[in-house]
Amino acid sequence: MSVTDTPREGRDLPASTPDRRTGGSSSAPPPRRAGGRRLQLLAVATGISMAVLLVGALLWAPTDRLQGEVQRIFYIHVPAAWIGMLGFGVVFVASIAYLVTRSARWDRLAASSAEVGVVFTTGVLLTGPLWGRPVWGVYWDWDPRLTSFFVLWLLYISYLVLRSYLTEPTRRARYSAVLGIIAFLDVPLVYVSVRWWRSLHPGPVVANPDGPQLPGSMLAVLLVGIAAFTLLFLLLLRLRIDNAVREDELAAPLRPTSAATDRSARSQHTDRSDPGA
Amino acid sequence: MRTLRHARRIAAKDLRIELRTRDILTAMGLFALLIVVVASFSFPTASEHREEIAAGLLWMAFLFAALLGIGRSLAMEHEHACIDALITSPVPRESIYLGKVLSNLAFVGVAQLLLLPLSIVLLQLQPGRGLALLLVTVALATLALVGVTTLLSAMAVNTRTREAILPLLVIPVAIPVLIAAVQATRIALTGGTLGAATPWLLLLTAAAALFLLLGLATFRHVLEE
Repeated sequence: MSVTDTPREGRDLPASTPDRRTGGSSSAPPPRRAGGRRLQLLAVATGISMAVLLVGALLWAPTDRLQGEVQRIFYIHVPAAWIGMLGFGVVFVASIAYLVTRSARWDRLAASSAEVGVVFTTGVLLTGPLWGRPVWGVYWDWDPRLTSFFVLWLLYISYLVLRSYLTEPTRRARYSAVLGIIAFLDVPLVYVSVRWWRSLHPGPVVANPDGPQLPGSMLAVLLVGIAAFTLLFLLLLRLRIDNAVREDELAAPLRPTSAATDRSARSQHTDRSDPGA
Repeated sequence: MRTLRHARRIAAKDLRIELRTRDILTAMGLFALLIVVVASFSFPTASEHREEIAAGLLWMAFLFAALLGIGRSLAMEHEHACIDALITSPVPRESIYLGKVLSNLAFVGVAQLLLLPLSIVLLQLQPGRGLALLLVTVALATLALVGVTTLLSAMAVNTRTREAILPLLVIPVAIPVLIAAVQATRIALTGGTLGAATPWLLLLTAAAALFLLLGLATFRHVLEE
């Protein structure tokens, strides 16, 4: 999707910049303003950093002495994992913020971040076996990190499934906020239980894919990867939130615009007066 | 204190209904027994790894029976519009949560008390010295499981698919509880004592505390309309 044909950008920026919102009725023509340019900038920056990442990962970084060319998947695999988990952290914070403020924008942020996070972690779960097969000899191993990452992915799949089974917007927002909080606080328990489970029953020792010492050039490409994936995350998040705003407007054509609803919801909980229950 | 008194009253209502109908316990108990029977055909339960298989099997039976029973217990509130009466009654939401946790604990506990001796006989187990550890494990893991399932089932019954979505919500969250419960049960069935499974028991305690606190903190957001 081309980022230039998203109308009404700037109406609902991510929650970190609430002051950029403008009021106005829903019937006003979609204005073009700074938000659109910021989105374009973000898109361009994402594209450039991804290109730099590809060149760095495929051409510039040295070939791994033990693993060979396949190790280059590392520069995509690890950033996607870290930024995907960051996305789930955003879900947690936005879920708490929603329950406190009851502002629909926090719910949109949580939902969008969960979706982008699931896309990233799905990428991790797909690139992992591609890397594991040549290096470990198996596509999958129930090693602690793999297992807990898999469970993490399942947790947020079930978060998205819950959302899809709820149609009434405020109920969907409340329920998914509760699950968003439970899922995130469950992650340490998952990690500890899986670690202990595997260490009490040690499987075949597998080579650690990322050695403890990383040459400077490899580290540099990894950092580029993290920057590129952070930008990609922000870009997808922005586009997804814009989409969510439009979905909300379509779902409730008789209610005030989402921007106006958001503002009043913060003070008087208009969100709750929905009779849909 | 008043919160607890209200909770006891709500739990007593559930138990009275159950004593008259026996809907939930019949469904749960039979379902759990059937899981044990099917698993005995499916896995080498007569092999030397009998205890390890039995530990996993017991928890699959407990988990699915609890999902069935707790889903039913919350769905029943909806079918008789009882949930509306509970919401409009001058009772804190925390009491409703605790009340449902108490009655669900009773249902799941009774089902487990029926199933445990039966499985010990059917699967030819000899817990012996491990019996204390087995009972503590079952108690702690059930507390954690019921705590989170009660909260999630209150959400599940309000979705398009009713209780059908409940396993999808509970199982990923309950995975650490299940891992710890299976491991501690395995130690118990091979004759281990309480000390041998301390880390797992600590993990179960932490999970139970976390899930119950989360339930108390968030139940009022679930039961709003």
